[in-house]
Amino acid sequence: MLPPTTLKTRSMKDSGNPPPKEPIAARSKDQPEEPLHELRSLLLGPEQQELEGLRQRLDDAGRRAEEISRVLPTAISLREAKDNKIARALAPTIDESIKASVKKNPKVLAEAIFPALGPGIRKAISSTIMGMIQSLNQLLNHSFSVRGLKWRWEALRTRKPFAEVLLLHTLVFQVEQIFLIHRETGLVLQHVESKEAMVQDPDLVSGMLSAIQDFVKDSFQTREGETLETLRMGGGRSVWIEDGPQALLAAVIRGTPPLDLRVTLKELLERVHLGYSDAFERFDGDVSPFSGLRDQLDEGLQFQIKETKARISPMLWVLLFAVVAAFCMWSFYALRSHLRWEKYLRRINAEGGLVITQTGKEGGKYFISGFRDPLAKDPESLLKEVAIDSSDVMSYWKPYHALDHELVLQRARSILIPPDTVLLTLSDETLVAEGTASGGWIKTFRTRALYIPGISAYDDTMLEDVDMDRLARSIEELKAMTLTFPLAGAQVGEGQKPALQSLLAKVRDIQSLQTLFKIPVEIVITGHTDNSGTEGLNLPLSHSRAKNVFDYLVMNGVNPEHISTRGVGTRAPLQKGSTPEDRRRNRAVSFDAFLLDSPEGMSP
Amino acid sequence: MIKKKICMLGAFAVGKTSLVQQYVHSIFSEKYHTTVGVKVDKKKISLNEREIDLILWDLHGEDGFQEVRMSYLRGASGCFYVIDGTRRATLDVALDLRKRAEEAIGAVPFILVFNKWDLAQEWEIDQRTVDGFQQKGAVVMKTSAKTGRQVEEAFRSLAEMMMEG
Repeated sequence: MLPPTTLKTRSMKDSGNPPPKEPIAARSKDQPEEPLHELRSLLLGPEQQELEGLRQRLDDAGRRAEEISRVLPTAISLREAKDNKIARALAPTIDESIKASVKKNPKVLAEAIFPALGPGIRKAISSTIMGMIQSLNQLLNHSFSVRGLKWRWEALRTRKPFAEVLLLHTLVFQVEQIFLIHRETGLVLQHVESKEAMVQDPDLVSGMLSAIQDFVKDSFQTREGETLETLRMGGGRSVWIEDGPQALLAAVIRGTPPLDLRVTLKELLERVHLGYSDAFERFDGDVSPFSGLRDQLDEGLQFQIKETKARISPMLWVLLFAVVAAFCMWSFYALRSHLRWEKYLRRINAEGGLVITQTGKEGGKYFISGFRDPLAKDPESLLKEVAIDSSDVMSYWKPYHALDHELVLQRARSILIPPDTVLLTLSDETLVAEGTASGGWIKTFRTRALYIPGISAYDDTMLEDVDMDRLARSIEELKAMTLTFPLAGAQVGEGQKPALQSLLAKVRDIQSLQTLFKIPVEIVITGHTDNSGTEGLNLPLSHSRAKNVFDYLVMNGVNPEHISTRGVGTRAPLQKGSTPEDRRRNRAVSFDAFLLDSPEGMSP
Repeated sequence: MIKKKICMLGAFAVGKTSLVQQYVHSIFSEKYHTTVGVKVDKKKISLNEREIDLILWDLHGEDGFQEVRMSYLRGASGCFYVIDGTRRATLDVALDLRKRAEEAIGAVPFILVFNKWDLAQEWEIDQRTVDGFQQKGAVVMKTSAKTGRQVEEAFRSLAEMMMEG
C-alpha cells in the first residue's frame, strides 16, 4: 500500500489538488503500479496536464466567473432567440431587485425612469383629452340645434342614450370594439372599445362569436379559408371578422366603413401574428402576455364623422340682419337722443336764470330739476330748439331770482317800465339811468330801484328831467322856424344847411318828447311862394317846397307819422309887402305844430 | 388573468342549464341552445389568489334529434358531463359523449356531475355505480340544481384540475 501513497503524495505535490478517483480504483486490481504509472505518465502526460489545467479552471470561481462573463451576453441572446425562458426566469429576480432598490432609495429608480415617464404621461393625457374633446365637441355641436333637439326627442322616444342617437346620425362609421380571439379556444386575448360603445361582456360575446363561426362552418360545409367574414345587424351595425392562423380579429362597427378598413384590420392581425406567434402557441388560458397589444388594437378603433357643412339657414341670416339693424337703429337713436340731451343741458347752463341741480334717466325718460328765474328763457322752448319732444322729458323747475347781470337788468326794466327815452344799464350792482324822463318817472325810479333784487345802488346823474313846458317851448321854437328858397326854385336855398340841421334836431326833439309824454304832436309843413308869377305855377311850386323838406326829414330818420305837407302859393304870405325883401322871405316853408290830445292835468 | 374554456355536455333535460343558471354571468337567452346549439356564460372564481374566468360553453342537450357539435369542444380545457340521476339512460349518453369528446379534442380534465340529488330516492342509478366511477379515478360530484348542492364545488374542482393539468 506504500507505493500508491507515494504516488498520491507526489501527485499532491505536483498539483496541490486531490488525485483523480479513477487511478485509485485501478490500483487495487493491478499490483505492478509503478511501471504502469510511469507508462501512463509517458503516454498521457500532456493530457493529464491539460486535465489538471481544466480542473483548476473549473475550481477557481474567480476565473470561471471571468470566463462566463465573456460568453454570457452571446448565450443570452442565443437563448432569447429560441424562447423567452431567460426573461421569465429573470423576471422574479428583477422584480425583487427593483423592489429592493426602491426600498433602499426610491430616487434612483425615479430618476432612471423619469425620461420615459414624461412622454408616456403626456401621451396618456393627450389621448384622454382628445377623447374628451371628441365627445364634448359633438355634444356641444348638437345640443342646441334644432336637429339636436330632434335627436334628443328620438333618444327619449327610443329610450336610447343620447350619445348613441348622436353617433347614429353623425358617424360615417366607427369601430366600436375590437376583439382579439384565440382561434383554438375562442377566448378573448385582448379587447378594446371606444368611449361611446355599449359593451357587453367581451368573453361571452367572443365565445358566442366563435361558436357562430363554427356553426356556420359546420352547417354550410365551407372549405378551409371560407369563414364568416361579416355579420350585419339592424341599426347600421356590423361585425367584421378577420381570420388568422392562430387568432381572429373581430371588429364591431357602426355605420358604413370604407373597404380599406378591411385592409387595416388585416394588417393589424398580421402584425399581431408576427409579434405574438409564440405566445399564441403556448397559450394556456393566461392572457397577460397579450396586455401589450392594447395600443396596437386601439389603432384599429377608427372613426369618421360626417362633415357637417356649416350651412346657416337664410332665415337665420334674415334674423341676424334684423337684429343687427335693430341694434344699429337703437344705437343711433340712443346716441342721437343722448347728444341732443347733452346739447340741451349745455344750452340751459349757458342760459342765465336756469340752474340745473339734477339730471338723469328714469324709466326711459330724461328728467331735469333745478331753479328757474321767471324772467329766464322758457326751458320748453330750448327743448324745441334741440328737437327733443317735451313729452320725453320730466322737468321740475323751482322759481328763484337770478342775479345774472342780464336778468337783473331785465327785472329792473320790467319793474320800472322806463320810457323809450331812458337807457337803463347795470354796472356791478348799480343801476344807471340815462336820457330824459318825466319828473314822475324819475321819482318812481328812485323809490323802486333799490327794491329790485340784485341792485344795491342807482345812478341817475345822466338822467334829464323834462316836463310839458319843454314840449310847448319846442313847438313854439319850431313854429318860429322858416326855410327860404331861391326864385322859382323848389330846393332849399344855398346857405340854408345850418337851418335844415336845426330843423331836424327840433323835429326829433319834439318827437322824443311826444313819446315821453305819450301825447301825439301834429306837425304841418306849409310851402309858400312870392307874388310874382301866376297862381297856377305858384301853387304846385309851394307844394313841392313843403314836400322836399318833408322828404329831407324822413330821409334823416324822422317818423313821418303825424307830419303833413301843404302848398298855399301866395294865399298866405309870410310878409304882406311886395318889396324884394318881402318877396325873398315869402319864397319859404313855415312850420306849424300842435298837440293832438291834451294829457291829463295839462292844458294846451 | 387566466381564462379557461370549459364545456358542459349531457343528454337532453338533465338540468345542465338550471344547474349553473344562478352561478354564472350570462347575457344570452335560452334560445341560443336551440338555434346555435350553444350558450356561452362566464363564471369567475378565485383559486389560490388567482382570478380565473371560466368561459362556460353550455352545449345543447343530446337527444335523438340533435347531436352535439363536436367543433364546439375545440380548445376546451375541461368538461362537465351532466347526468340525470333519475334517468339511467342519461349516464349512457354522458359516457358516449365523453368518448366522442376525447376522440375530438383529446383527454382533458372532466367531472361527472350526477344531478337531481334532491330527488335521491327516485334515482335509477345506484350508489355502487357512482362509486365505481370514483374508484376508476374519475371525479364525481352529486349536485342539485334545486338546492345548489356542490355546484360551486364542481366549478372549483374542475378549475383546480385544469390548473394542475
